[in-house]
Amino acid sequence: MTVAESLSEVAEETTASHRASFRWQTVLPWALAAVIIVLCLVPFFLVIAISFGRKIEGAAWVWDFTFENYQRFFVGTLWPDEVTFLYLQQLGYSFWYAVIASLLAVMTALPFTLLLTRLSRKAQAAWLVFILSSLSLSEVFIVMGWDILLSNNSGLPALFKSTGLTQWLKDMGWFQVLRDWGLANPRNVKFKTSEFATILTMSYLVWPYAVILLYPALSRMDPSLSEAARTMGASTSQVIRTVILPSVRLPLVGTSLLLFVFLLGTYVAVTVFADPAKHTTAVAIYTNIRGANLNAPFGATQAVILLVSASICLTLGHMLNRWAEAR
Amino acid sequence: MKTLGHLYMALAALVLALPIVVVCGAALNGGRSMFFPPRDPTLARFGEFFVSEPVWTTALTNSVIVAIGAATLAVLMAWPVAYMLWSTGSKLSKLLAGLGSLPFAVPPIVFGVGLGFFWGFLGGLGDLWAGVVSHAILLMALPLVTISIGLQSIDRSHLDAAATMGATEAIAFRTVVLPQTVPYTISGFFFVLVLSFNEFIVMFFVSASSYATVTLQIFNSLRNGYTPTMAVAAITFIAVSVLVFSAVARWGDLPRLMGADQSRN
Repeated sequence: MTVAESLSEVAEETTASHRASFRWQTVLPWALAAVIIVLCLVPFFLVIAISFGRKIEGAAWVWDFTFENYQRFFVGTLWPDEVTFLYLQQLGYSFWYAVIASLLAVMTALPFTLLLTRLSRKAQAAWLVFILSSLSLSEVFIVMGWDILLSNNSGLPALFKSTGLTQWLKDMGWFQVLRDWGLANPRNVKFKTSEFATILTMSYLVWPYAVILLYPALSRMDPSLSEAARTMGASTSQVIRTVILPSVRLPLVGTSLLLFVFLLGTYVAVTVFADPAKHTTAVAIYTNIRGANLNAPFGATQAVILLVSASICLTLGHMLNRWAEAR
Repeated sequence: MKTLGHLYMALAALVLALPIVVVCGAALNGGRSMFFPPRDPTLARFGEFFVSEPVWTTALTNSVIVAIGAATLAVLMAWPVAYMLWSTGSKLSKLLAGLGSLPFAVPPIVFGVGLGFFWGFLGGLGDLWAGVVSHAILLMALPLVTISIGLQSIDRSHLDAAATMGATEAIAFRTVVLPQTVPYTISGFFFVLVLSFNEFIVMFFVSASSYATVTLQIFNSLRNGYTPTMAVAAITFIAVSVLVFSAVARWGDLPRLMGADQSRN
């Protein structure tokens, strides 16, 4: 064997091993891609496809291509003879609760996170453990806790009564205001069922998320800016208004939007704390798919509409940000 | 001003802890109903939850299986995607990273409904393994993020040094990339573990009532009123979360994982 031959052999071997590793490196990503694409996308496609299906009375449902479910959602089945906005109203409640709760969470989490980033690294880590633990706590436990706190026989109403706070409210004449808001019965304050309890719990649900989402932006903010403003004689409120708020406007809007989208799907808190007349689309989706109605196509339709409204809100927020940036 | 800030933080902590404290206190009740403060305090409920009540022990076993399975699977799927994204930055890897984060970004009820249909057609509806895969997909976004942060922290000059000294890509991967990303991989694993443990709505749709995890079992019992045993479940879950995140904070860099600025302390 000449040197040239053995050299070419080595070269062949290396190309062969190259080819083998090359194959391994192409096959794995594509296999993984196939799995991820199927698992992440097909469920959404199924929801969209089934939303055009048709329910058969007394049976399950069949594939179809009908807009009946969408018509039912927007104007009711009997349209154009009769119009009902029941389902639109449910969507309205979904939006109403989610908007108020997410804004409340972001507004109260902002000063907290700002203070958090000023602490030492070690203290920050300790706080983060606490916040992450409450963030991961299941919706069912949170609702359980607030339910005990807000229900009429235990918790706050009982506390109000035994401490004489109820009597004091009555004496001061504020009790009537609470009654007008639906937060009291003739004898004592009551929080179940009320919009107040629903929004409070929902806001509590996403509050740790708000902190975690605002944390990166706020911790990257240069403290020397506020310090400089302060040396030049700016008051605290001026510093907040002119230095801090403008620099966190983007994450602030982004966080509110994410929390809002997350809250659109809240289920447990709404079923427990909201008046049945004020239930949301998420609850309706459940009753249609797993609950009493057994109308999977209509449930899917409502899911699609929830998804589309969420995407519209995210896109609008994004555009608004861009527009504000451009100015 | 400083005291005012501390006061605000304390107030926030108080409100944050309030429902948790109430639930924990209620676990000590001797009777069958929830009272706060607890009446006739006892620890018997802990025995019921962990040992004697089959409803709860089965649910706990299911929760543990789903959480550990989903966390393992999510990390295994997220690793190659994060690595591709970091090493090549190809279009495919960007697409996969985007798709992998999609389920986490939409209202969970929509993805739950979709997965319910999906497993209905594939025949996995009501099987525990389908629950594991569902959670892995839903929560894959978390290890994707933590592993990416870990990969970004690798100094590229270390890789160049390894290459100059004759290390092949595989060796460099084993000796440089892997050791530096282990803490971030483990953090990702634990994030999925804890969130899967507590997740409710997706599991609700994919379990089709044929098995129950602890959160499902609690929701099912919600209508019949609370029992102190449910509060024990809550305590257990909070304890697990605190332990896991303390471990992450102890052995990993929690502020950095959460996106804090590196240069400041």
